[in-house]
Amino acid sequence: MANELAMAMADLDEEKVQALVKAGLAGGVDPSALLNECREGMTLIGQRFETGEYYLSDLIMAGEIFKTAAADLAAQGGSSGPTKGKVVMGTVKGDIHDIGKDIVVTMLRGANYEVTDLGVDVPPAKFIEAVKETGAPVLGMSGLLTISFDPMKETVAALQAAGLRGRVKVMIGGGPVSEQVREYVGADALGVDAQAAVALAGQWLAA
Amino acid sequence: MSNEALYQQRYDRIKKAINLELVDQVPVVYMGSAFAPRWHGMTMAEFCENPESSFQVNLATVKRLDVDGVNLAGGGRITPLLTSLWMARLGVPGRDLPADSLWQVREAEVMTTDDYDAIVNMGWSAFFGSYLPRVIDPQEFGMSMGWVMQNTPRIQQAYREAGYVIVCDAPANVNIPFEYLCGGRSMQKFFLDLYRIPDKVKAAMDVIQAEQIAAIKAAPPFGGIRGIWVGGWRSASALVAPRLWNKFVWPYIVEQVEALVSVGITPVLHWDQDWTRDLVRLQELPAKKCILNPDGMTDLRKFKELVGDRMAMMGDIPASLLAAGTPDDVYAYVKDQVALFEGRGLILCPGCDAPINTKPENMEAFVAAAREYGKVG
Repeated sequence: MANELAMAMADLDEEKVQALVKAGLAGGVDPSALLNECREGMTLIGQRFETGEYYLSDLIMAGEIFKTAAADLAAQGGSSGPTKGKVVMGTVKGDIHDIGKDIVVTMLRGANYEVTDLGVDVPPAKFIEAVKETGAPVLGMSGLLTISFDPMKETVAALQAAGLRGRVKVMIGGGPVSEQVREYVGADALGVDAQAAVALAGQWLAA
Repeated sequence: MSNEALYQQRYDRIKKAINLELVDQVPVVYMGSAFAPRWHGMTMAEFCENPESSFQVNLATVKRLDVDGVNLAGGGRITPLLTSLWMARLGVPGRDLPADSLWQVREAEVMTTDDYDAIVNMGWSAFFGSYLPRVIDPQEFGMSMGWVMQNTPRIQQAYREAGYVIVCDAPANVNIPFEYLCGGRSMQKFFLDLYRIPDKVKAAMDVIQAEQIAAIKAAPPFGGIRGIWVGGWRSASALVAPRLWNKFVWPYIVEQVEALVSVGITPVLHWDQDWTRDLVRLQELPAKKCILNPDGMTDLRKFKELVGDRMAMMGDIPASLLAAGTPDDVYAYVKDQVALFEGRGLILCPGCDAPINTKPENMEAFVAAAREYGKVG
């Protein structure tokens, strides 16, 4: 049974989350424990999204509540300990849309993944550099326009050329992206929504 | 056959499709802002800067494909038009972006939460005029819109003389207030507003809606199909929680549709993204008076099952299929669609619009498949 803070988080009750975090800190509760409760709430939100109870607008609201609470708790020394793994994320070259990518980043962070967010209009070389630097075994590419397909394909090719393709799983997502596009790009999986991206990261990083 | 006779034949075909009557041939129309210039070797900068070029290249594309008509005629500069729909700044090819790249909406929080109050206090039109300088040079905007108003009759005449029908031939577009505000605030901020300050948002929406309804009811008469593009993209069911959608989206759509129908205009619900969850609500709209114009993400089988006897569908060849698929894929998609609709209530058209990187062979396959499989009577 989730506790009160996790439930307030899951119910998107922003005022209650803030009040409970504040009261918890004032009462000497370990900030890390509070952070974990918030993460538990995010897990419930993901489940509600999967079952069709929640929609994208709910994920945006959840992300905002979580970000604020997590920042407050981190400022008090809160930590969830080792993350579940590293993911590099970005919107590909030529596309400046960040909404979908940002939601995925927030949901991954909410699920305790360490995400390197490269922003928008990211050229293949920058993806490769980040994968090398972080050692991340998962790369996520986002695109809202069909002009994102070729840069996605070029990035996968660049991973191959850099000798990294064997150790990096690639997921793609965004409005026009389909299974056909995944095949065209040469990605490993299509994340149809933010929660699917979290599930893919979980599947690959648990392996 | 003369072009005028061709026009009449195509017009009747499209009208029958809207009325869900059996057609001789499933009508096929073109829609694709950026594909047309790319296909004809015109840079995006030229397409965006020269209002005449955008009209001419669209008409040339319709002629080259020899379809029944076009969803939107084109003509005028697209980036000021998009600014007016999105209330956002745009990156313009040749100015902010490389000359042959695609224009892009720059997602940013330009509107503030205080602007909701300003809309209520000033009224929508006055607010919009005062807001424009934040997103575009008002002089440039005025000139661009003036060109459209002045040249629309000539453009419509040119299509007709060439034998082609314009489906959305109303001299304006309509959006529900949600889309204007979402564009101006940015999606992230606007969605948060819906949770945090719903009453403030709704008050502004009601003011916008009242002015739009009044404008619809005062619309001057015009001929042709009498279709009007009614946009929806971020208000889609897949994006907005039901309790928000029922409050901030659907009532405004219903009111606009009813107002349009009351003055004899056919709303073309240009719905991007996935609206499947709420397709059943289309049963509440007047029968045989609207067209759903989805982009490939909404479940057409569900549409057919729920409202196939009440509403026509114009679409929905997906952009991803046109860009990344093969001609065989396109053929298969069109064949399935025609089989689903069985000759009634279908107008074949690229979903949303054919993207800039549509493979020409896929566009040609779309038209060829539509002609091959679309023969009914």
